[in-house]
Amino acid sequence: MNSLTHTHKAWLLLGGLLIATLPGWAGDQYQLHLASLIAVYWILIAGLNMVVGFTGQLSIGHVGLLCIGSYAFAVLAGKSGWHPALALVASGVLGGVCGLALGLPSLRLPGFYFAMATMAFALIVNDLVLAQVDLTGGGIGLPGPLFPAPFDSPSGFYYLVSLLALGVTWLSWNLGRHMWGRALISIRDNPVAAQSVGVAVFRAKLTVFVFSGVTAGLAGAVFASLQSYITPDTFVFELSLFFFVCIIIGGRGSIIGPFIGTVVLTALPELVAPLAKLGNFFYGLLLLVVVLVVPEGIGRVFDIIRERLRPRVVHREPISPDLARLDRALKYKP
Amino acid sequence: MKSRFVQTTHALLMFTALVFGGSVLAADPIKIGWISSLTGALSSAALAENQGVQLAVDEINKNGGILGRQIELLTRDTSGDPTKAVNFAQQLAFSDKVHVVIGPVNSGEGLAAIPILARAGVPNIVIGSIDELIDPQKYPRAFRVINTNRQWISTANDYALKNLKKTKIAIIADTSGYGTASAKTATELLEKAGIKPVYSVLVDPNKTDLTDEMNKARAAGADIVMPWSAATGLLGRLLNARGDMGWRVPVVGHPALMAAQIRKLLNKPEYWESTFAAGYHSTTFGADGKLPQRTQQLVDKVRPKLGGGEIDVLFWWVAMGYDTVKVIEHAIKTSGSTDPVGIQKVLESTKDFKGVFATYSWSPTEHNGFPDSNMTVNSANTFKDGSFKSAPK
Amino acid sequence: MLTVLITGLATGMLFAAVALVYNVMYSTSKVLSVTTGHISMLGGVFGAYAISVLQLHWTLGLLAAVVAGGAFGALTELLAIRRVLNRSDEHLWLLSTLALATMVQQAAGLWWGTEPKPFPRLIPQDFGVGVMDQKFWLPIGMTLLMAIGLELFYKRTMYGKVFMAMSEDAFAAQARGISTDRIRLMSYVLSGALGGLAGFAAGQLTFAFFALGLTLTLNGFIALAVGGLGSNVGAILGGAALGLLNAYASYWFGGEYQQTIAVGLLMIVLLVKPEGLLGDRQVRPV
Repeated sequence: MNSLTHTHKAWLLLGGLLIATLPGWAGDQYQLHLASLIAVYWILIAGLNMVVGFTGQLSIGHVGLLCIGSYAFAVLAGKSGWHPALALVASGVLGGVCGLALGLPSLRLPGFYFAMATMAFALIVNDLVLAQVDLTGGGIGLPGPLFPAPFDSPSGFYYLVSLLALGVTWLSWNLGRHMWGRALISIRDNPVAAQSVGVAVFRAKLTVFVFSGVTAGLAGAVFASLQSYITPDTFVFELSLFFFVCIIIGGRGSIIGPFIGTVVLTALPELVAPLAKLGNFFYGLLLLVVVLVVPEGIGRVFDIIRERLRPRVVHREPISPDLARLDRALKYKP
Repeated sequence: MKSRFVQTTHALLMFTALVFGGSVLAADPIKIGWISSLTGALSSAALAENQGVQLAVDEINKNGGILGRQIELLTRDTSGDPTKAVNFAQQLAFSDKVHVVIGPVNSGEGLAAIPILARAGVPNIVIGSIDELIDPQKYPRAFRVINTNRQWISTANDYALKNLKKTKIAIIADTSGYGTASAKTATELLEKAGIKPVYSVLVDPNKTDLTDEMNKARAAGADIVMPWSAATGLLGRLLNARGDMGWRVPVVGHPALMAAQIRKLLNKPEYWESTFAAGYHSTTFGADGKLPQRTQQLVDKVRPKLGGGEIDVLFWWVAMGYDTVKVIEHAIKTSGSTDPVGIQKVLESTKDFKGVFATYSWSPTEHNGFPDSNMTVNSANTFKDGSFKSAPK
Repeated sequence: MLTVLITGLATGMLFAAVALVYNVMYSTSKVLSVTTGHISMLGGVFGAYAISVLQLHWTLGLLAAVVAGGAFGALTELLAIRRVLNRSDEHLWLLSTLALATMVQQAAGLWWGTEPKPFPRLIPQDFGVGVMDQKFWLPIGMTLLMAIGLELFYKRTMYGKVFMAMSEDAFAAQARGISTDRIRLMSYVLSGALGGLAGFAAGQLTFAFFALGLTLTLNGFIALAVGGLGSNVGAILGGAALGLLNAYASYWFGGEYQQTIAVGLLMIVLLVKPEGLLGDRQVRPV
């Protein structure tokens, strides 16, 4: 987690090259669309990872923040005619504000209470969106505005979201590897001990929660643009579950784990048609299996396999006494 | 001056392309994409439509296909999720490179997917009813086969005002997207006719009892209740409330009032009396007790596939699914190829194309093909074999 | 107006029953399971299946609902709780019960269908009786019976005392020779049976509908939190408060803000008195 080894750096470079040149080697526009969707989801999940994976706050209502970001963008950039870049920033800010509003009362609550509060939040947002017909178009929804050139083509848009995702990833990686990140993990593992060593528990929780709100707002804005049309039907509770599962599958406390989780879980139903029908049942089953068998996430499975194939060589350096020298020392009489 | 090597390779490639390209063209299937919601909410309509689509595709392929080419049907199940609908629209348009797309089924998915298909230039046969799905400027290759929501609502309103001569209308809709939009349209159309509803409310589709709303409607002096919701649970409870209260008012509204599931949800079968809904001449028994000939023919063809016994789904779903493929066949045959520009031109100049569900006409400025003349009002409790009898005039 | 009161009370009592189920589960495992609402959903669905589809007598339908609920409760304990409680990670049970809840909801949707299906009439009764209709009084009566039954169970029977011992201090109970695993399984079976019973009693109100689970989990939880974790009387009060608030709010303001109002109630109570109306002050986990 701290610094990168050479192997890590090499992998990252390769991955980065693949991602940067994706419009070139992707098969067709559909696959490019899928890649952009993964990037959009990852913007939200990277932030949520801080809350769920690092701080251990089980928020299952983040789809509400995504919804707020999407509608904010659609209304500001569409109806009110703001410049999309400005609307994007505004969506992020609004997401953060709502994260603050949600987090302030609920973060003090114990685990289950907090989860229920976030779930209720998502349902309330859905209610409000449907009810405020004049603002949100109610059931009809709103069109999602495009970004201006050069981001209005599919590959241009892909670069935009990839850059955003990269930025968010870098932010959260920095958050995770410095002392701040350690503080978060300590809160997850044992809040009482954390408090006793001086970690400002509530302030830390609230800060990451607001951060996740900002990323959710940003993700919502680009999501609206990608989908080209948003309706309340899109933001169902099952989407929250999906985000949640990506993080848990990937492994809490890491960043690359949930990223791989996101890629796999988004692409899988597209590739395996029968899975698409089972959809949410499959996510539930996967979550249950992971929680029961490898709660640290699938990433752990790779670690275990790696250990079996290429066990870390532990250098044993026995310290053998230099008997002659010991003898001289014992016999030495000044 | 190109090298000998390059020239030879070039010639070889051209030769191969001609040989194989030619043979591929001859057997090239016509790909039709079908975005459906076979699982999840509102799947009963999609499943019935699927029967119609499959039957039409099998029939056409048995008779040699369209222009000598077989139809390849690519079915995609969205489970009612608009994000999946968008993904499948992208996949069908860019990955599978289909020639035409039917669907999506639900209006919510349609709102998201149809613009994508329009941007890709793929011809789209629309079967969602919300008015916003069709726009000859924005979606030049989208043509609607089902009636519009407006046609449903104005038919019901006309029946209420002109036939039943009621003027004090209570509108009860659900809080879903469809319900809120329909309530708004219904109120608009009534206001155009000079009537203001005496009571209008939006109800959660899972609310356990509608006695309060019905009581309030009665207290406001309503002499007719018009529900706009596709949620069978809500409609069942509404009819139960009316019956339990002993309130004798007609109920006129959404076709879901006539769905077979409603019959099972009613406390007493009599509660289905005096319940009318917007329906179609093509699925209405005439005065002689017979269905229109084309409908009856399709019923006989489909019956074995639905189990051979009585048909307990709304038959117009099946008929509509069947027609979507026939419309595509007509467009491709008449234009001579699968070129989207040609298909668009043909459909825009189609007048009175006789389908089973309806007789369709489109024009360059009107992409809604369903004629007003096919709308009628049915009595809910006359359900038999998927069709109904006419409501009393 | 009377119908608003009675409807609110009836739905409130269904939520109170779910809160009672939460209480029983919590007493032996200190876990609040996301599957609690789904138990009642299964009770309603299996009851409707037994009576309408298999054409059995309503007593057998009741049995089917109770067995289905109890079985699912046992499944929850065996799959989602037992292996997870031993881990040091506190919140794994939230994940496992969430996963199980999703699976059971989707499976019910695939098997039973996504349309609400009718729940049969249990006692022959005319439909026009308004507020005296059994669809209101069955859930109210059943929940009160359940609450009284639970109180008697805790105070008068040996097993009830064992449950209470486990809820006070599981380690001490284990030291006294109580097989905590078996008792926990029993409590989950009991809570499942109660949940199935509640779902069966309220079936005529809610129809047999696969998506009820999550709504009941949330609303039952609100009833629990308002009334106070661990108190059965609190569960009844909390449920009644929530049900009545929902009914009157949608009567006066329309159905659009129902969820908002319900959660608003929760938030206010939690801010003012975090342990609920009748809950015990939570002991600090040190």
